[in-house]
Amino acid sequence: MENFELIPHTADLKIKVFGKNKQELFRNALIAMFKIIKPEYIEGEEKKFDVMVDSPDIEALLVDFLSEALYLSDANSIAFKDAQIHEFTDKSIVATIIGFPIKSFEVVEIKAVTYHDLSIKEVNGVWQTEIVFDI
Amino acid sequence: MKKEVKVSDLVKIDENTYEIPKSFREDMKVPARLFANKEIIEDILTDKSLSQLANVSTLPGIQKVALAMPDIHQGYGFPIGGVAAMSVEDGVISPGGIGYDINCGIRLLSSDIKVEDTKNIIEDLATALFNVIPSGVGQGGKLKLSVDELDKVLLNGAKYMVEQGYGNQDDLEFCESNGCLKNANPEMVSERAKKRGADQLGTLGSGNHFLEVQVVEEIFDEAAAKAFDLKVGNLVVMIHCGSRGLGHQVCTDYVKVMVKKLPEWGIKLPDRELACAPFKSQEGQDYFSAMASAANFAWANRHLIGANVRTAWQNIFGKDAILKTVYDVAHNIGKVEAHKIDGVNMEVVVHRKGATRAFPPHHPEIPHAYQQVGQPVLIPGTMGTSSYILTGTEKGLEVSFGSSCHGAGRRLSRTEAKRKVQGPELRKQLEAKGITVRCDSNAELAEEAPIAYKDIENVIDVVVSVGLAKKVARVRPYAVIKGG
Repeated sequence: MENFELIPHTADLKIKVFGKNKQELFRNALIAMFKIIKPEYIEGEEKKFDVMVDSPDIEALLVDFLSEALYLSDANSIAFKDAQIHEFTDKSIVATIIGFPIKSFEVVEIKAVTYHDLSIKEVNGVWQTEIVFDI
Repeated sequence: MKKEVKVSDLVKIDENTYEIPKSFREDMKVPARLFANKEIIEDILTDKSLSQLANVSTLPGIQKVALAMPDIHQGYGFPIGGVAAMSVEDGVISPGGIGYDINCGIRLLSSDIKVEDTKNIIEDLATALFNVIPSGVGQGGKLKLSVDELDKVLLNGAKYMVEQGYGNQDDLEFCESNGCLKNANPEMVSERAKKRGADQLGTLGSGNHFLEVQVVEEIFDEAAAKAFDLKVGNLVVMIHCGSRGLGHQVCTDYVKVMVKKLPEWGIKLPDRELACAPFKSQEGQDYFSAMASAANFAWANRHLIGANVRTAWQNIFGKDAILKTVYDVAHNIGKVEAHKIDGVNMEVVVHRKGATRAFPPHHPEIPHAYQQVGQPVLIPGTMGTSSYILTGTEKGLEVSFGSSCHGAGRRLSRTEAKRKVQGPELRKQLEAKGITVRCDSNAELAEEAPIAYKDIENVIDVVVSVGLAKKVARVRPYAVIKGG
């Protein structure tokens, strides 16, 4: 079973992501963000980026973490497939995100990660969130 | 969780005009108003557009009314098709109310080429245009800018491109704000935003952005059509794109800054995507300058695409084939404008999120040549339906802060659109209607299918019936070039 699903949205892309804890939720959200827009990978070596993000609360942290990955993707023509999370609190994350070179995305480009309708909660022992991407 | 707006909460105040009264929610500072007919309202029943509109009316310093144009649909923060005017003195500026694609907009070019003379050449023309405009996701352009050159683009917009030999002075004359907002300050644009934009000038991007060759089908206003150089049977070119990664990053950067500062400013919002700053605060002014810089980048972008289209056009039709810029107009932007509020002239920051400025005849901000007829208002339909050229009106200035719709407005999600129509089938349908298509991605084609949008005729009927703008001409698609 996928650890995310697409939720209908009139104009943009919305996903619901699941994780057994908050760290895994963040990792799965990163992987899902790139999976839904279908990267067209080209030959090339794995690229790793160390990211450190501080934010006022956990929702802002998720937006800022994904925005960081989006910037690195656009500026370096890569798509991220995985993340190793080294340190995590509700207000900060230190991680290594792992990507590969791409030619393009098959579906569409994500312009930004939004706060709209964003909440992070635990339901029956599973952490989940819904995120709207502007496309 | 704030109370959701239902259709039964709408109060009809006039033909095609509905209001969510200020009393609907305690946090609403002004009423919210929607220009729509029954069919349009049915289209938005299932999404959150109306609640998003009510949320806009809670922003500090909002004046008179929060507005939604008839192409309204659900966005993030503001609904798409949203217009709001905040007091310059004690109101806010909201990056989300302008959008991530700052100065996404439309440029229209007119020609003397007759459609009947192009039956054997349209395929070549479409291919030539597709080749000259890098349009896919993350595609860089042919022009790579140095840091210094990029700063000049951010400061001077399309004017800098003319100085570099692209396009001409008339392109600037027939462009909203002459293609340059004077309050731009490249220092307020992050290095990240600049890195994202450095190689993206001259590119369309993906999604609903497009380049179309269209045919003028019908003229409704002879005088305005003459002023805009539109003749039945002639080809025109429409360009839809914005500020690319540079603008997206500017918005992301400042939403982050403002989200952090909201508690300090004592601003409580129903949705954090409405994050805003007092207009006169340092952060508000910094964003306003950064947004203007990104807007200038977008104008330079559409200007360069227009210049590249001209080159391809002349390669096909010969050196004497002229493409004149009819107008270029933004539909995601924030501008300081003077409007009459309760009978008094007042400076406000007008946020247009998926809404087009539509100024009337004799307005000082429109070109001399259009003073008698009003500002061209450029409204794309879909790849399979008509688009419209309208003009602004005095009534629009009164009721919508001089704003109109910006398109047909989506009604189906991308997933639903793909469920209803397959890319290859749509391609065949369009070609059967005499529309040449250049788009590498069948998925993207299906996502932007005409069925995914409201009926443009319906949207334009509401705009005209309410008096936001007047019809000048209807054009139909002839060649569609998309990214993907």
